[in-house]
Amino acid sequence: MAIIQFKDFSWTYLNQPKPAINKINLTIQEGQFIGIIGPNGAGKTTLAYSINGLIPGQYHGVKEGEVVVFDKEVEDYPRGDLQQKIGMVFSDPEAQFTAMTVEDELVFGMENIGLSIPEIRERLEWVLELTDLGPLLNKPPYELSGGQKQRVALGAVLAMTPEVMVLDEPTSMLDPISRTRVFKVLEKTKQEKNNTVIVIEHSLEKLVPMADRLIMLYDGQVLLDDEPRAFFNNMPLLMEKGIQSPGVIAFFHQLIQGGYEHGLLPLTVDEAAERLDLIFKRALETVKS
Amino acid sequence: MNKTLLGYVPKESPINAIHPFVKLFFLLIVSLFPLFIQAPEWNGILFVAILLLMAYSRINMGIMRIYVPVAISMGTIILISYTILGGIHPDYAILFNVLGRPIYWERVRDALVVYIRILPMIATMVFFLSTSRERDVIVAMRSIKAPFVVTYVFAMALRSAGMVLEDFHIVRQAEQARGFDTTGKSLVYKIRKYVMYMIPLFALSLRRSEEFTNALIARGYAFTGEAAKVKRADYVLTHYQFRNLDKLLTTAILLLFVTLLVFRYILGFMGLESSLIHLLYQ
Amino acid sequence: MDTTPFIQVKNLVYCYPDGTKALDGIDLNIGLGEMLALIGQNGSGKTTLSKCLNGLFKPTNGDVLVEGLNSRNTSIVQMVKRVGYVFQNPDHQLFNSNCWDEIAYGPRNIQLSEVEVKERVEEAAEVVGLPKEYYSEHPFFLSKGLRQRVAIASILALRPRVIIVDEPTTGQDSYQSLEIMNFLRELNEKHGHTIAIITHDMPIVARFARRVIAMGLGRILADGTPQMVFSQPDVLAKTYLETPQITQLAHRAQKWGFSQGVLTVDEMVSEFKQVFPTHA
Repeated sequence: MAIIQFKDFSWTYLNQPKPAINKINLTIQEGQFIGIIGPNGAGKTTLAYSINGLIPGQYHGVKEGEVVVFDKEVEDYPRGDLQQKIGMVFSDPEAQFTAMTVEDELVFGMENIGLSIPEIRERLEWVLELTDLGPLLNKPPYELSGGQKQRVALGAVLAMTPEVMVLDEPTSMLDPISRTRVFKVLEKTKQEKNNTVIVIEHSLEKLVPMADRLIMLYDGQVLLDDEPRAFFNNMPLLMEKGIQSPGVIAFFHQLIQGGYEHGLLPLTVDEAAERLDLIFKRALETVKS
Repeated sequence: MNKTLLGYVPKESPINAIHPFVKLFFLLIVSLFPLFIQAPEWNGILFVAILLLMAYSRINMGIMRIYVPVAISMGTIILISYTILGGIHPDYAILFNVLGRPIYWERVRDALVVYIRILPMIATMVFFLSTSRERDVIVAMRSIKAPFVVTYVFAMALRSAGMVLEDFHIVRQAEQARGFDTTGKSLVYKIRKYVMYMIPLFALSLRRSEEFTNALIARGYAFTGEAAKVKRADYVLTHYQFRNLDKLLTTAILLLFVTLLVFRYILGFMGLESSLIHLLYQ
Repeated sequence: MDTTPFIQVKNLVYCYPDGTKALDGIDLNIGLGEMLALIGQNGSGKTTLSKCLNGLFKPTNGDVLVEGLNSRNTSIVQMVKRVGYVFQNPDHQLFNSNCWDEIAYGPRNIQLSEVEVKERVEEAAEVVGLPKEYYSEHPFFLSKGLRQRVAIASILALRPRVIIVDEPTTGQDSYQSLEIMNFLRELNEKHGHTIAIITHDMPIVARFARRVIAMGLGRILADGTPQMVFSQPDVLAKTYLETPQITQLAHRAQKWGFSQGVLTVDEMVSEFKQVFPTHA
């Protein structure tokens, strides 16, 4: 079922000569895990904000076309309704921490949507287990690392059980281990809840194995839209537009180019290691014979 | 050690067992007491009583040293404004003359009365801030059913204060890293240059507030409209129970206040005319 | 010829006012013309160390010597003329209403004549590639990349021999990251500055740094070439970093003869070609 549809959608920020998003047509199905990549300024954040109503709600500009979420135009939703369906996590851990302690932060969203105390308690427990934040419950934001704050943000949004999660560069300000932990939470969520997840990221190594579909935005337009292995077959285009592919993918692409291997690209180190083993075993047999 | 708004309070402190509402109630009511007491000896007793309460709550009394310079300068300003700048009153008794201006006993007396009135009010405020964490303030406000917006704005003000302070430190370092050095320069120069801090602090706050507003909206917080009328569960209040001790203390504070009013206005105590201060000068 | 390192750190200990020890005995030498990366978990002391090097922080114990000057009894102005530090967030360090004044801020602070100031500003602006039309623009409205350049230019205008850049690539896309790193490399190779970057970005470290200093809990855990440091997984674990994907793959393919110093895809490809069995 198509839950998000962009129909000829364009958005130009006030006083900007060029549109940030230029006549995009895109459909997002329920339950998909989607990665959106592209250079800075390509329109990724604009796209994300258009899904949950921040655009045009909070920003001035010119809109053309339609953004339909759950069969209703984004602008037709009464205040506060759409945000319950679409959860959003932003890139700055500091700026999205809206309360004074971890517990208050996790509970804030739930209070906003009017849940009762028993319901809040139940969801709080679930989210704590998911994000592994138990011991930090009473800590104020200034005692948390960036990674911990991002997990809190993730937990706070998940606690509202939105049907769609949109994450705008959730790990760009984090160190690699914190990044891994955030993605682990996303994996757990994907397994448990199977809701629709849209992640905007620059660092692709963790994202690619999890994604069902990758979309590349450039200059406000969709240049590529495919499942990961097919997506990375377009290496020349990706390199031209400045997309840094994950190491193993770039490596195998070169192997394929050089004729040492053919077939689908591996998405993880494990896969790549197995394939390398096969390549070498085959080659050794050929030499022997 | 629990971090409070103005410092630290050890975990074993008796104050931690008290519901935040009581702390707020104490602040609001007891800080009014000096307004009804004129006699400085009574305000002095009140002041000492509050200091004793602070000591009982295991606040580190050493930090009171920070307030001594403030107290002294404040007292000096009050004294000067009441005496040297206090005008000519032919019917007052002159104590002595300074720079050709007469120093009247009545004005000195009045200055003392005002000063010793202010001390307990400030002490109550310091007591509250030294024993309350940010969360306590919010819980206290929610328990008196203050509108959520008010509570929230207050909490955010507290939070921003911390962030701005941190920004300020970093900006200062950034300036120094560009060779900016105020050592040995005049005060006027320093003040002029401080205006420069405003630009980066403003820039940072502006950027942050945009993201912050987006985050609020993304958490479903609606400022107006139907969604804003939702009944909030106030989950944080579940951690605090209004116990018998709290009820007792609240009643006690209220009774104390009523007693004070009775003593003052019906029985006539604690007024200026009957005060012991007149023992200083007949 | 004097072979004393430009920066010498001897048993440096730094404690914050509330008593926490941020640096616990650092011994380090940094020479001119080096290109190094400072890596480590948040709170490991990387930023504190940098601020001790440029005189913002004075050591609690131990010494920091820059060009022979001891940071304890040298004014900050003298220190920052030798060691520049670019903060992570350009917004923290943009004080003026136009770029020209911004870059001129440093030279003016150190009491240079207006003629010299003009010379330095134009030089710095050219090196960072700031187009003339931006000179009168307000820094607040520029893109992050440009703001960063203005910040770097304003440090360059002081002509320090050593420049420490705090997280130059965080939040940037790959194109922008490469741009800034290439530019820093040029500063190092063409203009002779010592460049130190504080970063988490492993691919960048692998590609650009010639020396890596890994810190943890206020101490130096490892100090050597990227290959050397990255081949120590326990060091990496303590610094909250991960081996690049390609290095992990090389490790898994060890049995086929892949060397363990592989850090980039290109290196991996040439390794492959070397070890791939072909007809004799």
